[in-house]
Amino acid sequence: MFFLFKYRFLQTIREVSVMFWALAFPVILGTLFYFSFGSGIESTGEETWDTVKAAVIEEDDSSENAEAFHTFLKEASGKLLKLRWDATEAEALEMLDDGKITGIYYVKDTPSLTVGKNGLGESILTGILDSYNQNFALIQEIASTHPEQLPQAFEALNDYRQTTREETLGGQTLDPNVQYFFALIAYACLSGAFLGVRASFDTQADLSPLGARRSVTPTHKLKLVITDMTVLVLIHFINILILNVYISQVLGISLGDDLPSLILVDFMGSVIGVCMGLAFGSISKMSLSMKMGLSVALTLVPGFLAGLMFGNMKNLIELHCPVINRLNPAAVLSDAFYCLGIYNDMERFTRCLLILGAMSILLFITAFLGVRRESYDSI
Amino acid sequence: MIHIENLVKRYGSFVALDHLNLDIQEGEVFGLLGPNGSGKTTAINCLLALLKYDKGNITVFGRQMHPDSYDLKKDIGVVMQNVAVFEQMTVRENIDYFCGLYVRDRNERQKLVDEAIRFTGLEDYLKMRPKKLSGGLLRRLNIACGIVHKPRLIIMDEPTVAVDPQSRNRILEGILELNRQGSTIIYTSHYMEEVEQICSRIAIIDHGQVLATGTTEELKSMIKTGETITIETIHLGENELDGIRKLPHVFDLTYEDQVLKLRLSSAKHNLIRILNYLQEHDIAFGRVFSELPTLNDVFLEITGKELRD
Repeated sequence: MFFLFKYRFLQTIREVSVMFWALAFPVILGTLFYFSFGSGIESTGEETWDTVKAAVIEEDDSSENAEAFHTFLKEASGKLLKLRWDATEAEALEMLDDGKITGIYYVKDTPSLTVGKNGLGESILTGILDSYNQNFALIQEIASTHPEQLPQAFEALNDYRQTTREETLGGQTLDPNVQYFFALIAYACLSGAFLGVRASFDTQADLSPLGARRSVTPTHKLKLVITDMTVLVLIHFINILILNVYISQVLGISLGDDLPSLILVDFMGSVIGVCMGLAFGSISKMSLSMKMGLSVALTLVPGFLAGLMFGNMKNLIELHCPVINRLNPAAVLSDAFYCLGIYNDMERFTRCLLILGAMSILLFITAFLGVRRESYDSI
Repeated sequence: MIHIENLVKRYGSFVALDHLNLDIQEGEVFGLLGPNGSGKTTAINCLLALLKYDKGNITVFGRQMHPDSYDLKKDIGVVMQNVAVFEQMTVRENIDYFCGLYVRDRNERQKLVDEAIRFTGLEDYLKMRPKKLSGGLLRRLNIACGIVHKPRLIIMDEPTVAVDPQSRNRILEGILELNRQGSTIIYTSHYMEEVEQICSRIAIIDHGQVLATGTTEELKSMIKTGETITIETIHLGENELDGIRKLPHVFDLTYEDQVLKLRLSSAKHNLIRILNYLQEHDIAFGRVFSELPTLNDVFLEITGKELRD
């Protein structure tokens, strides 16, 4: 058995065209993604932007609200928001014109904001002011209607902030571009189909002379088929691990911290990719080049539907025809990676694994029934 | 050793094998001779249980041959018509791999691989991949992979197609050597010269039927043609042609493109009689050839068409 294993391993890894599609192409694609998204991605996987700078103009107002807003801004100032308190209104407006600051907060009874244009920084400043106004209105209402519950209201507000912060950062990344890399790994898993198609060709007497020669030997067909499948899954699993290491260590994209789960998804993806190829390779009598050509579509179409080329595709499908996302192995794989990297949703993760397992079993049975034949109607 | 009885194989309405019967004895080099599409490879594939057949019975080594007859398969070596090796493996790796499908013991395998390499003369190419080999060397590798485990029965399906004359001779000599070492050989070809050169018995096959079986001499003696005489002559009228046609032992005559071709039954002095007739009638002639019957003549007489067609 080891003997068969060794030669099948050598034969497969030396097959340049097949290994290109199964390993090199996803790596190249990953590199292109990385450079396309530019500096939006850094080693922690968190999207970064410049600190938003704003000036604060305190009008001569000693109202309760103005004081509260003053305190709120003091607390909000930090890594994300850099405030200048010493500028006059004229200086602040000049800095706003020059683009040195993004906006000007006015501390008064009705706090206000002046911004120069539309953009991410401006949205953040607006969001901060809106958040303050909503919370202040809430507290005011409670103070007037249920003053005795004011301490609990403050506490709840505090809890809400904590919960919000935890849920947002719980998955370790906020970067929407990471979904492209999840879709890429899912596509790479499916590209094991190239290995499967190639191997099915060498196994069936009606497809190749090599298949015929192997079929007339005293080595049991079942042994040959199982050896082939084992070798291919192992090779492709290594391919996917290499891609994972490349994405996380070389490109610096975080794929999550749950390494065992990540490896498990990689393995399931390798199995489904190889079985898909074996099944496809064994159910028709097309030429090898034709099958390899169709395998490109067989892997890229599910990849496309999983958001490989257009990041929002999977979400659109989820909105309009979610069953496709349940049946598309690339989408299920991508979702499993997303569960690990973004949501930390183990229930959804388990569901993905179960779907992948069921699909793998079905494809394995199809592939096995296809390649185990020993006698043919025509050769 | 091999008994094929009433074998029928159909592809839809096309009958590829039409009640084919064959008996092959141990120790023979048995030739299956027929034009392309005559059913040779189909018969071999049925024999190897690769192809399902509609009717008939096949026994190998006295036992029924089935797809899972693994104990029979270990004594059979096959050299496919198309080269069947792994492009990604070296010459030695390929031979070792195919030997390993038959022989588990590592030491024995190594010995057999070395012998097969020597036998096919591939010593200088062991680390090369098939893509780098010439057509002849590739065929030799194909043979080495098929015979490496020293089988009792070797089936060779047109092993010399697209091979240069030097490699072809080496392959044919090798086949005779394998036979001397004790292997029974089944050799299919549409090259009658090869079959005539190495086969101890021959079956002529066409349209999926065995038309005749026997040694070369037996087959030649089955036909009327004893001699074929070809003469280059500029002009022959109908009278002269009628005269030649009436000469003793002439039973077929064609005259095309100033070439007169006569087929005569076996008799002494056929050529002298023809040349005397030409001289007596002042017919000028150029080159003259006289040939003894070939397997092509056998095929021609049985089927009415040339083997090379």
